[in-house]
Amino acid sequence: MATLKEKLIAPVAEEAAIPNNKITVVGVGQVGMACAISILGKSLADELALVDQGSLFLQTPKIVADKDYSVTANSKIVVVTAGVRQQEGESCLNLVQRNVNVFKFIIPQIVKYSPDCIIIVVSNSVDILTYVTWKLNGLPKHRVIGSGCNLDSARFHYFMAEKLGIHPSSCHGWILGEHGDSSVSLQELNPEMGTDNDSENWKEVHKMVVESAYEVIKLKGYSNWAIGLSVADLIESMLKNLSRIHPVSTMVKGMYGIENEVFLSLPCILNAQSLTSVIN
Amino acid sequence: MSTVKEKLIENLIEEDKISQRKITIVGTGAVGMACAICILLKDLADELALVDVAVDKLKGEMMDLQHGSLFFNTSKITSGKDYSVSANSKLVIVTAGARQQEGESRLALVQRNVNIMKSIIPAIVQHSPDCKMLIVSNPVDILTYVVWKLSGLPATRVFGSGCNLDSARFRYLIGEKLGVHPTSCHGWIIGEHGDSSVPLWSGVNVAGVALKTLDPKLGTDADKDQWKNIHKQVVESAYEIIKLKGYTSWAIGLSVTDLVGSVLKNLRRVHPVSTMVKGLYGIKEEIFLSIPCVLGQNGVSDIVKVNLNSDEEALFKKSADTLWNVQKELVF
Repeated sequence: MATLKEKLIAPVAEEAAIPNNKITVVGVGQVGMACAISILGKSLADELALVDQGSLFLQTPKIVADKDYSVTANSKIVVVTAGVRQQEGESCLNLVQRNVNVFKFIIPQIVKYSPDCIIIVVSNSVDILTYVTWKLNGLPKHRVIGSGCNLDSARFHYFMAEKLGIHPSSCHGWILGEHGDSSVSLQELNPEMGTDNDSENWKEVHKMVVESAYEVIKLKGYSNWAIGLSVADLIESMLKNLSRIHPVSTMVKGMYGIENEVFLSLPCILNAQSLTSVIN
Repeated sequence: MSTVKEKLIENLIEEDKISQRKITIVGTGAVGMACAICILLKDLADELALVDVAVDKLKGEMMDLQHGSLFFNTSKITSGKDYSVSANSKLVIVTAGARQQEGESRLALVQRNVNIMKSIIPAIVQHSPDCKMLIVSNPVDILTYVVWKLSGLPATRVFGSGCNLDSARFRYLIGEKLGVHPTSCHGWIIGEHGDSSVPLWSGVNVAGVALKTLDPKLGTDADKDQWKNIHKQVVESAYEIIKLKGYTSWAIGLSVTDLVGSVLKNLRRVHPVSTMVKGLYGIKEEIFLSIPCVLGQNGVSDIVKVNLNSDEEALFKKSADTLWNVQKELVF
């Protein structure tokens, strides 16, 4: 006796099993879910997997969730937001040891189920945790990227745009180095700009970038929308093979006289092969 | 001595600060913020204003969205607890109100939310007398009635998110069962957004093929395939999600954004939203229930006259009676 589905639909070909643009988000806290909704809003994925140690969500073949990492299999991109949250007044560097222990469990699982993926680390302190991620999995360094200063630069664009009365995308400015207290901004329009001699106090703009994260946390308890949007922006460059340049955290040993294996943000070209070049 | 800005930019005309597509969202809880991020991702507004009473959270949310400005095209995001920030809105989305607790029926929330609306609605209308109002707070059908009464606006300009989300969940579940995308599955749930909503089984179709012609028992207790369970899942899904994560946000945010798109772009798409149904299907009271409405820049401009069979009409009337029993006890 044919089911209703069989009466309605006649199959013609085998259904494809492997997704083309699968993205996994590890950690379904505020940051992870902001990344998820931004990814969905920009239609970047044909399958989205959410993984956390907590409880289950609604399941569909397109959006899957579990605490078992097998749901993440065949991901092109894995966004790691898991970890403990930055507390009010806590500097990024204080988060480290707490999060290293979380990563020791997560990262090998990710690589086991998606050995060809690109990992974007978002959890703070992002530069150190990107290094930790790279060390824990043996992936080539161009496939382990930290969200780094992509957000700091976006905030910089925003504050600059406010000062000039134009859209952030028409302002260009780079914040590099550490995501956080000791990031570095590049400005050229006014030779005095960014120094203490500057009467308009553009240096203030960079200070606002550094402090604004702390201020948002103080006001609402955490920050998530801006970081979610900035992560979706990075993913877009990779999945759509755009070769756009983003300030993201990458391995910088051998550049600028750096002798140790550290990850800091520099302008990097992102495309389908992941992080293919660094701008000098 | 010219500033950097003056050296860089030559101004030609005065900036026109009046927005053409301003949206205000009242309430920056999970639902309000889900609406906000989805609206930003879809480029629907040129200005977004957020209003709430929790001033720190409000400012923090506004700043967090502003910091993402590089990634979207809404150039002005403001906030305040004073409704003057909402002035000149084309559409005001009301999500404020007490949250449905685990196991609490939507109807139990009512009186708490009526009092909140009394403090909100007159101020909104004062600052945006020409706006449309989209009510999301639960119980949405009753609160849309309350807001309409408090606003003095024509009923066509006040509507509730109603069964837009129920119908979306319905189509998603039908799609799951058939292996087809939800947008290719058509099905309407009307009436109360909640326990007594009415699924219109005769209209459920894929590619114009009505599923009921393939199985006349569709949606009845005699149906071996138990399609009726799909409707049951829709009714229970909010409760289930609330039990799992504490609240629902993403689906309602996306469904509200879908409605916003129709209004702001004057699309005249048809959506099941909560509107004034007095005079239809034998209803004599001023009740708001979801029926298919044409949504455009003036709000609800037309309604679709759906043929209900006798069972469906009875259920619809039963919804109306349930709501009226609560509404008539309300203290304004």
